[in-house]
Amino acid sequence: MTTATFDMPVGAQKSFGTAGVAVALLLPIALVNAIGFILPVLNLARMSFNEALPGGGIAEALTAANWTGLLHDSFYIELITNSIVVSLGITLATLLVSYPIALYLHRASGAWRTFLTVLVISPLLTSAVVRTYGWIALLAEQGPVANVIASMGFQPPRMMFNTTGVVIGLTEILMPYMILSLMAGFGRLDPKVEEAARTLGATPFRTFWRVILPLTLPGIALGCLLCFVLAISSFITPKLMGGGRVFLLATEIYDQAIVTLNWPLAATLSMLVLIIFGAALAVYSRILRMIEG
Amino acid sequence: MEENPTSWFMRVTVTILFLFLLAPVLLVFPISFSGDQILAFPPSSWSLQWYEALLGNTVMMSAFLTSLGLATVVTVLSLIIAIPASYAIVRLKVTGSEFLFNLFTAPLLLPTIVLGLAILIIFASMGLLATFTGLVIGHLVITLPYALRVLSVSLGNLNLACEEAAASLGAKPLAVFGKVTLPMMAPGIVAATALCFLVSFDEVVITLFLTGPRMTTLPVELFHHVESQADPLVASVSVLLILMTLAVVMIVDRTMGLTKAFMK
Amino acid sequence: MMHQTIKRDGVETIGDPYLCLEGMNKKYGLVEVISNLNLAVRKGELIALLGPSGCGKTTTLRMIAGLIAPTAGRITVGGRDVTQIAPHGRDMGLVFQSYALFPHMTVAKNVAFGLEMRGLSRADIANKVAKALGMVQLEHLAERKPRELSGGQQQRVALARALVIEPSILLLDEPLSNLDAKLRDEMRTQIRDIQQQLGITTVFVTHDQVEALSMCDRIVVMKGGLIEQVGTPHEIYERPATPFVASFVGRTNRVKGKRTADGCIRIGSSMIRSARPAVQDDVMVMVRPHRIHIDWNAASTEQQGETANRMAAVLSRITFVGDVIQYHFDVGGSEFIVEESTKKSQVSRDQGDKAVLSWSVEDTLVFGADQ
Repeated sequence: MTTATFDMPVGAQKSFGTAGVAVALLLPIALVNAIGFILPVLNLARMSFNEALPGGGIAEALTAANWTGLLHDSFYIELITNSIVVSLGITLATLLVSYPIALYLHRASGAWRTFLTVLVISPLLTSAVVRTYGWIALLAEQGPVANVIASMGFQPPRMMFNTTGVVIGLTEILMPYMILSLMAGFGRLDPKVEEAARTLGATPFRTFWRVILPLTLPGIALGCLLCFVLAISSFITPKLMGGGRVFLLATEIYDQAIVTLNWPLAATLSMLVLIIFGAALAVYSRILRMIEG
Repeated sequence: MEENPTSWFMRVTVTILFLFLLAPVLLVFPISFSGDQILAFPPSSWSLQWYEALLGNTVMMSAFLTSLGLATVVTVLSLIIAIPASYAIVRLKVTGSEFLFNLFTAPLLLPTIVLGLAILIIFASMGLLATFTGLVIGHLVITLPYALRVLSVSLGNLNLACEEAAASLGAKPLAVFGKVTLPMMAPGIVAATALCFLVSFDEVVITLFLTGPRMTTLPVELFHHVESQADPLVASVSVLLILMTLAVVMIVDRTMGLTKAFMK
Repeated sequence: MMHQTIKRDGVETIGDPYLCLEGMNKKYGLVEVISNLNLAVRKGELIALLGPSGCGKTTTLRMIAGLIAPTAGRITVGGRDVTQIAPHGRDMGLVFQSYALFPHMTVAKNVAFGLEMRGLSRADIANKVAKALGMVQLEHLAERKPRELSGGQQQRVALARALVIEPSILLLDEPLSNLDAKLRDEMRTQIRDIQQQLGITTVFVTHDQVEALSMCDRIVVMKGGLIEQVGTPHEIYERPATPFVASFVGRTNRVKGKRTADGCIRIGSSMIRSARPAVQDDVMVMVRPHRIHIDWNAASTEQQGETANRMAAVLSRITFVGDVIQYHFDVGGSEFIVEESTKKSQVSRDQGDKAVLSWSVEDTLVFGADQ
């Protein structure tokens, strides 16, 4: 599999044998990759075609029963639809709260921009458990958010242990990814284009709608793809903030694997997540072609 | 633009959104000094009782030590494995090196919930569940792609002429690597070290599948604790986690600048 | 100084072939970047590989250093075949265009590197490093890091580092191209002085004809992986073997002509002669701009002498270039540029002025039009 390329120094091929050395250098990482990635994933794919026996056993014979069962069980149909709808909602919410920050950061410069960028990245370096805990504190029944709403004379809604809490928490947790993707896509947004539109008499709103937004569409598409796949596969926040009352694909995978010990079903649901990933990617490239074309 | 009302509106919006982004992390600090027995904000009184409780909590403390040891071992192994691999891919340019690079960084594309389940099933048959070895391998699966990526970029940016100069001055290949290539990669190695340590130290989802009552890490223990009772003890542990992260980030920043390391 | 022993202990003297390239060939896939290159470099000689980018000069240098394995061919140094020897065993000093100083080492450590690789004692190393840094006048910067030095200083460190190992051959890859014009002139002299002082055989890659002409004993002009001409700077300038050499080294006027039955060349309505006879019917005539004399008062071109060519011309444009003035003439539809030094050109001339251009038959270069 390995041969030296053309521009090797003299002696490299003979004195220490590039191919041999390369294999030796790559062997450890290949081993970890094989044991911890390729083998497990192939095994998982195969297990989605095994049947679970009562008591946690697994039948050897291959069957499509998990898949057909899944598609005929109204609970799972609803689980899948619900997961997709909630993830789309989270993606949209994340886009709306991230776009102004990304646009502001794109226009900022110097040390101020660096400082704000660090602020955006820093939550990424903080454990999702810690951030979810922060949201539990904020959204609790007697928590600060509820108190503020009550002080304004409204009846505070329930924001914990339901979908609302999960959406709020995940929106915040996915914001840094969205902001970074948007900023990457904003590269081609030249402030001069905006100025040009303004000097031609466009109102700020029209400038945004006709000039800024179209130019930033590729960044929006990238950020939405990333947030959607992260939302549909996220586990920590729905598990902790859903309080066992919000059923999403990721939490169901965990419950089937750890609580019910139905590994084949968990494997099938995992494969389903990967299929949704693939579908999202296909939609993304389709949209990107439309934007670029 | 200064007097522009839109710009003023924009600033207020951005400030509120930043507050939304940072609120949950910032909130953890005051809560950790709460004098209350249950989670409430703002706390009715202040104290250090939850830090005392943390020090007295043997499960948390042993989980913390496990996490520390695990992250250290994983980081060292990641470097030992990824440095030679990046050299083979970037410098020796074996055929299919691009394919190999993509293959070795592919675990990052998989959702951790799927990867965790997949590893759980394989490790169960190998007897690696709830063992230190199992955790090390499980973490390596996700730290190695980061290490390989950072080190390959670092190596690719080096001036190849320096290595050629060393060879022409009489250095054998191993001496060139040890005396010229490796020292010149230092910033990349620091970044990879920090990244591997943070990823391993903060990892929850995959670790959840691989831990057991006998062998648990701090983030997993924290997860289980929040699941059962979200008291201010979690806040004090969170502060500990955040400070660890901050320390690592500051070391990187000192060495090469934060944005450079993470804004690839 | 360091090389005097090496120079005198053998039977070789300056003039013997020392570095020989025989039948060198380099292919990348199907693309041949060096084709059948043969070259003998004499001991103690400073030879330039000159050509435009992509001509194969750097590839040739890197093959000599062992950094690129040739597809075919043989390299010998003093009779010893080094073709299969790895770079670290070749004993050649190499100076890179980017200098390639080790950024994590001090200047002294950089220079000491090659000596450490050779396992010399600490005392010997310190001694030789001090001498080498003295030679390039950088003793006072020994403990600095490369990034704290100016471009010229870095360049001299790179030179000291390559020379301190007393290599059999010094290889310079466009060493002056990253320096500003003034520093480049200084370094030219300094490199040439050190090279002659040490008597070290040196191969110098450059795309700058002035560097090649002013510094080197001989020049190899390359184009498209082939050698166009090898010769002394004088030979290359005065007797270019190909139109490419004539136009790449020095400036030249070029105009198309036809060979006539009596061996003369007809350009438009004028007839001229050349020292070397034309080999084809369609020819390209080349004349260096500063070898042409302008006679503003000549009445006609009748008195065609034995040793000079004369042509009537009309002035079309004047360009002032500081130390010279360029007159652009229209000669029967072709443009001829003539250069005169500024002090001579006191009389102001106007567009449309008539003159007779003359130049010696010796200075008339003739090539086949398809060459």
